[in-house]
Amino acid sequence: MAVEALRLDGVTRRFGAVTALHGASLVVAPGEFVTLLGPSGCGKTTLLNLVAGFQTPDEGEIFLGGESVTRVPVWKRDIGMVFQSYALFPHMSVAENVAYGLRARGIGKAEAMDRVAEALRMVRLSGLEDRRPRQLSGGQQQRAALARALVIRPRILLLDEPFSALDRALRGGLQVEVREIQRAAGVATLFVTHDQHEALAMSDRIAVMCGGRIHQAGTPEEVYAHPADRFVAGFVGDATVLRGRLRGLMGTTAGIEVGQAVLEADATPLRGLSQGAPVDAFLRPETLSPGGPALLSGEVRSVVFQGGHVDVHLDCAEAAGGRAMARLAPMLASGLAAGRVLELAGPSCCAAFPAEEPA
Amino acid sequence: MAGENSTALGHGAPGLLRGLALPAWLCGLAFAAALLAIFQYALRAHVPGELEPGGFTFQNFVAQAHPLYIGVFWDTLLLCAGTAILSLLAGYPLAWAILRTRSRLARSFILAIVITPLFLGEIVRTYGWIVVLGNSGFLNAALAWFGLGRAEMLFTTGGVLAALVHVTLPIVVIMLAAGLAHIEPELERAAQSLGATPARGFFTVTLPLSLPGILAAGTTAFAWTFSAFATPQLVGGGKVNMISNLVYQLGFASFNFPFAAALAVSGLALTAVTLAALSLLTRRVEQRL
Repeated sequence: MAVEALRLDGVTRRFGAVTALHGASLVVAPGEFVTLLGPSGCGKTTLLNLVAGFQTPDEGEIFLGGESVTRVPVWKRDIGMVFQSYALFPHMSVAENVAYGLRARGIGKAEAMDRVAEALRMVRLSGLEDRRPRQLSGGQQQRAALARALVIRPRILLLDEPFSALDRALRGGLQVEVREIQRAAGVATLFVTHDQHEALAMSDRIAVMCGGRIHQAGTPEEVYAHPADRFVAGFVGDATVLRGRLRGLMGTTAGIEVGQAVLEADATPLRGLSQGAPVDAFLRPETLSPGGPALLSGEVRSVVFQGGHVDVHLDCAEAAGGRAMARLAPMLASGLAAGRVLELAGPSCCAAFPAEEPA
Repeated sequence: MAGENSTALGHGAPGLLRGLALPAWLCGLAFAAALLAIFQYALRAHVPGELEPGGFTFQNFVAQAHPLYIGVFWDTLLLCAGTAILSLLAGYPLAWAILRTRSRLARSFILAIVITPLFLGEIVRTYGWIVVLGNSGFLNAALAWFGLGRAEMLFTTGGVLAALVHVTLPIVVIMLAAGLAHIEPELERAAQSLGATPARGFFTVTLPLSLPGILAAGTTAFAWTFSAFATPQLVGGGKVNMISNLVYQLGFASFNFPFAAALAVSGLALTAVTLAALSLLTRRVEQRL
């Protein structure tokens, strides 16, 4: 049985009266790429700092490779970390930067040189050994930081929003590249981001966080298609929220009445509700399409061309907040203009949660 | 409106500058004249009993080759170097604490302690040291209380050094803090994440990156101390002499203006050479960063 690369058992961290992390538990398997996703202040950076050892938990245990490191200082944890600013040492060459962790471990010069060359080859920076960090582009700096973190063969790789300093245009390519390098190195990785697209694109699993708690941990598909609660449904991906009523619970599925239609939903979040209770149905905008039978209808307010698709916003009485959004193929949206009444057909299943009291 | 204001300033600023140029030129002229007077005195012969110097001579510079004067130059250089090094050693942790302490109260307290000496005159500060170091002063009283006897501190090189460090410390701390502020705290965290103990991280990352600040602060402390007069005069009590004390004695006790002027010129040249060497070093260090 393979040992878990990382295990968090009920880790809590408080700053004075503020609890930044409430009993978080999480497991990262060897070679797995797990993302901590959440808005700023959700506790994801605190969690990363606890794993790195820059902070110690008030409660709970942290294990790396099956060994408890809760009280082990940073420099003895064998972690590799890529910082938001990359934190490359400006007075050292690229090769010296990459060799830093090896020298701190007392590894001989010949072996260190071989491993540095190998790490730089892996991140395609061969030939730039003697450059100073400031002579590298943003993407190259990121790869140098990655090589420096990987060359020590860490028990876990920690990535702290490494794409946030880069141009949007560069990010897509680098995300793919970082993932390929991580896969080739076979290193378990914990990645922190507030960007849901990054999380969906890169992760084996995503842990969605808010208010110091892990709301859901699952594959990108699970998190997107079967959000565990309202927060996850609203934070990951866009959603049109329709007001409905609970028709009944049958085993693991629930029937939701929305207007004339009945949708299926996962029953778990709705347990304990009585028949006829108000619920909110979360629909992904790309599951709506023009035509019948109409699940919802309304007057088009704006048509936003996004390249590969078109976002149509409409006034809709059934929708929470009075607004609905459908994501259509450009072909289907041609001829749509503000003021037209549009009927949309929906999917047969959705995610549903108890209705929030109107504020 | 903001636009009108900026236009008014745009017209006003060059006029203001032109208006200030005249006093600036006058000041510059006065300084240059004083310096020129010192240079020409240095090259004139001393006529005993006369305030007016005699004819042209190099004798004032030749006479400085005497071991007595070379000794004073050497002592001055050592005191300057010692002051610079001790100020850096004492100032670095203080600058560090000012930058990295989380508590605002602690930061304000350290800043206040460090900066206050700047607002006291040099004479007040120096008398403070006489009170502390004197035979029945604070330190000796403390030593006696612990039954450790007395130590000669006033009128010693050590006492002068302590007082000189006190004079330079505020400026050294401010300059070091300015230099250290440029170092990202994330670099220290990165070093630790790579397996370096905090001490190793400090010596391999933080210290090399703070070298430009250290050199700048050290150079300033050195140059500042070279012209020290009141501190060695009062705390040294004639037993510890620096160049400026020698110049004073020769000029205002022996009324040998030409020799005093020549010593001042040599001191100036020595400072210039040392500063040039230090700035060359600083530039080389900065190129490597």
